[in-house]
Amino acid sequence: MFHRESGYFKTTYAADGGLYPLPIAKWTVGVLLVGFILLPTISTVVSGAVSAEYYVSVVNLILIAVVGALGLNILVGYTGQISIGHAGFMSVGAYTAANLAVKLDLPFWITLPAGGLMAAFIGVIVGIPSLRIKGLYLAIATLAAQLIIEWVINHTPAISGGSQASIEVPRPTVLGHPLKTQRELYYFLLFFAVLSIVATLNLVRSRIGRAFVAIRDQDIAAEIIGINIFRYKLTAFAISSFYAGVTGVLYTYYLGIANYENFLITTSIDYLAMIIIGGLGSVLGSILGAIFVTLLPIVIRLFMESFGTLLFSASDLNNIIPATRLGLFGLLIIVFLVVEPEGLNRLWRNIRNYFRVWPFSY
Amino acid sequence: MEWDFTLLLIGNGVLIGLMYSLIALGFVVVYKATDAINFAQGEFVMLAALISAAVIVLMEMPFWVGVVVTLLGMISFSFGLERFILRALLGRPIVAIIMATIGLAAILRGLGPLFFGAETRSITLPVGDEPIIFGPFILQPVQVTGAAVALLFLGGFTWFFLKSRMGVAMRAVADNQQVAMAMGINVERYFALAWAMAGIVSALSGIVWGAMLGVDVHVALVGLKVFPVVILGGLDSIIGAVVGGLIVGIVENLAAGYLDPLVGGGTKDFAPYVLMIIALMIRPYGIFGKRKIERV
Amino acid sequence: MTRHLARLTAAAAGAILMSAGAAIAQPKEIVIGVQCDRTGATQTVGVFFCPAVHDYTNLINSKGGVEGRKIRAMEIDHEYKVPQGMEAYERHKKEGAVSILLYGTPHTQALAAKLAEDKIPGTSPGFGSAASADGKRYPYLFPIAATYWSQAAAAVKFVKDKLGGNLKGKKIAYLFYDNPAGKEPLPILEDLAKLEGFELKTFAVPAPGVEMGAQILDITQRYRADFVIAHLFGRSPSVSIKEFKRVGFPLSKVVSFVWGSAEADLQAAGGGAVAEGYNTMQFAGVGSDYPVHKQIRDMYQKEGKPAPKEMASTVYYNRGIFHIAVHIEAVRNALKAKGANANITGEDVKNGFEKVKGITLDGLMPPLEITPADHEGGGWVQIFTVKGGKLTKSSEWFRAYPEVIKKHIEADAKKS
Repeated sequence: MFHRESGYFKTTYAADGGLYPLPIAKWTVGVLLVGFILLPTISTVVSGAVSAEYYVSVVNLILIAVVGALGLNILVGYTGQISIGHAGFMSVGAYTAANLAVKLDLPFWITLPAGGLMAAFIGVIVGIPSLRIKGLYLAIATLAAQLIIEWVINHTPAISGGSQASIEVPRPTVLGHPLKTQRELYYFLLFFAVLSIVATLNLVRSRIGRAFVAIRDQDIAAEIIGINIFRYKLTAFAISSFYAGVTGVLYTYYLGIANYENFLITTSIDYLAMIIIGGLGSVLGSILGAIFVTLLPIVIRLFMESFGTLLFSASDLNNIIPATRLGLFGLLIIVFLVVEPEGLNRLWRNIRNYFRVWPFSY
Repeated sequence: MEWDFTLLLIGNGVLIGLMYSLIALGFVVVYKATDAINFAQGEFVMLAALISAAVIVLMEMPFWVGVVVTLLGMISFSFGLERFILRALLGRPIVAIIMATIGLAAILRGLGPLFFGAETRSITLPVGDEPIIFGPFILQPVQVTGAAVALLFLGGFTWFFLKSRMGVAMRAVADNQQVAMAMGINVERYFALAWAMAGIVSALSGIVWGAMLGVDVHVALVGLKVFPVVILGGLDSIIGAVVGGLIVGIVENLAAGYLDPLVGGGTKDFAPYVLMIIALMIRPYGIFGKRKIERV
Repeated sequence: MTRHLARLTAAAAGAILMSAGAAIAQPKEIVIGVQCDRTGATQTVGVFFCPAVHDYTNLINSKGGVEGRKIRAMEIDHEYKVPQGMEAYERHKKEGAVSILLYGTPHTQALAAKLAEDKIPGTSPGFGSAASADGKRYPYLFPIAATYWSQAAAAVKFVKDKLGGNLKGKKIAYLFYDNPAGKEPLPILEDLAKLEGFELKTFAVPAPGVEMGAQILDITQRYRADFVIAHLFGRSPSVSIKEFKRVGFPLSKVVSFVWGSAEADLQAAGGGAVAEGYNTMQFAGVGSDYPVHKQIRDMYQKEGKPAPKEMASTVYYNRGIFHIAVHIEAVRNALKAKGANANITGEDVKNGFEKVKGITLDGLMPPLEITPADHEGGGWVQIFTVKGGKLTKSSEWFRAYPEVIKKHIEADAKKS
């Protein structure tokens, strides 16, 4: 990742498919992990406790987004099945966990996988049409699934907990200590984000992951070489929805409330944007995309707050900031699609390749 | 009594269904010729409504000037869109084109109000506002106009694709771009033409829907209505867009009249989507859609 | 591309440094966080609502501030998305905001617990949950205006007056947007139906609500309602006006909740003349003839600028004034209690909110009285009716059936 890669050559498939591309990568990962664990402490020392709380809260949003983006990328990027209804699975996870946490008083380490499994179950049902329809038809079928999920939640008091359709959830507790501040929640979220990154890295280099890629590239050909399309397409939907469900549960614990209005189509679109901008079919791309899309509005606002007053009056600026943000969000999606289809991941690889032989190119 | 009510609901459904078809036609024309999917169809309609309101209300021009300016504006807009964005995405996976149009939708929703103003305006069609009474039906003149325009386009497009030389060429392009190119058809020109046609349809649906809903960003909401319509009818069928619109319109109204009291919630926008999923399971390419045969 | 990214990062870093510098430079300023939506699902409200907040703040500052302290209303647009709302809240907290103008029902619910943990008061006029009027249960959440429950009660009272003081055997249709906010008043309406002996039937309008021919036909041709209570959002109020007009149902027999009652809704329906007779419920006065508007226009004139064009949409603009005015009053109370130069905290302002009373702005504000138990401040509304194409006041501030609402708030508190 950050180290020089020249001079290493791989001679076996096992080496090529290894989790760590180079022996030194173990050290890099170790350093990164320590860095992330110390991040709240470092930011507190640098900017003070009050500001650190804010910076950590932004990182928290990114960590949740990483889990969801990874899940969506497994389905869209690796398996080639489009889903515009992913936020629907998030609300399935959120309500499952919230109901279990409130009605049965269960701790998060039960509700979280339960939310994921429920979402996976619904995901498989939604995935069944994918056996017959593809492309745009499938995209719109998933959109319909999202609307149907929303409708069912909204009209079933047993799920939604009454006409307000929102369930307040107690804070997650670890060893009897409720996690309240952003810094405490950070470790909670970091654990699951890292877990899902490692799980995805291992998934995509396994037999299942290769089957997904084969289906994406040409499903009829994949079937001919002996891949059970029925099983793997549904597996992809199940795994991807599991991630989405977990994302929903993490949001629920983070916000302290389950509410389907947090998971509307706009949310599905944000996640699609993450994996498009980050790079389809790439774990690093999902992470970079989650970071990028979460930070984009914040950075634009900070920038405009600092320099915008030079060009515009304060009252105009209040209209311009949000409009620019929305416009730039759309523009960046298009620019990435047109100029760099493989997204931030490809940009990062280009930088790396450049430095691989630097400064002795040619 | 009850039958009268059913009849009223169906009448209502037919009119509003044709209004949906009007939007769906723009979607279908583009898909038929270029295989591109326009998730920004609602925003197209919104843009057309914003332009027409700016000309008619803000600049106080006569109505027909507004129509002409909107038509020109929308044609050049969709033309430019094809030239600068979608052409670069030719041959890319479907999700790329979906996302590009979603990105476009975000741009239009962000910048539209900034340029044209965020306040709600109303445009009035020169057909009056008094309801037309036709037997038991009480009809809104706006909806009648919209339905008439939709039928006009249906006739026009059907003729165009079946009889005219350009239409036949466009079908050839849609069928197989490489073969069409080999036969001496200028594929890029026909892509541009298809988008220009979509621009015309969007312009008129923008004016009609703008007159019905009032003009501001909320007009873009009608875009959500287009998916069940085009899927039911088949993505590449002109007549499918109209039949799909009629089915959705009638189902919506019957659902609201008879299903809502039973389940105690609004099923109007939900019923067409359920119907759409069922239809997809039976006919994966829509009622009038063309089955595609895939080869390895 | 890489170079651009590098430049962007540098700019962002600069921005962070500068904003940190600005915070240190003016320590005496009081920061109020403003959440807003100018680009999301409810942007047609936000574009008028939020400028009013700034105009009124500037007006107060131009008159020397609150007890000599300047106010900074710091706006963050969250696009009606909850994660962005969470980020906005944390940012406001970082900037030292002592109170927050919330915006949006899901955001209010998501932040309810957080506000209490951090001891920062937040306000949710006309949205959020009705149960949050209970100050004991939600100490840091202030609806400050009539909740949907109070609006429902007031609507029934209004209908009763209109139908000659007796609702026995009358048919009332409740036409609502099919989302949690639309369904919230149902328990109140059902209770009142039993109490007053009227027949209630509900008609749901699902999102996006651009067409409701069937519902209106049902209300007018099959159910034949005597009166309609409408609770619609976004584009649907204007569609309902048009449809009622089409089938010839008198709009004077329709009363709309607070989010279907702005000039924009009348405009979208084809102008004020189309909506003649339509009754709207308001939690802040309508019109731009209140003295506060003159002061704002004068302030702009002094700077050599025309009056803000947002002022033309008086319903939303006045609600913006209403919203920030309550905050400024709460800050004033806090400063009075702690001393004009004291460093007030969110807790002080919360206590300030609970002493808000008697700000009228010459009739723009209801006779609000917030107490530690009642964070709604009474639940006052006013009815404005479209007459001659304009919204005209047709009732004084009133409220209704407080005992029914109290019963529901208590029941809700017991439930959890």
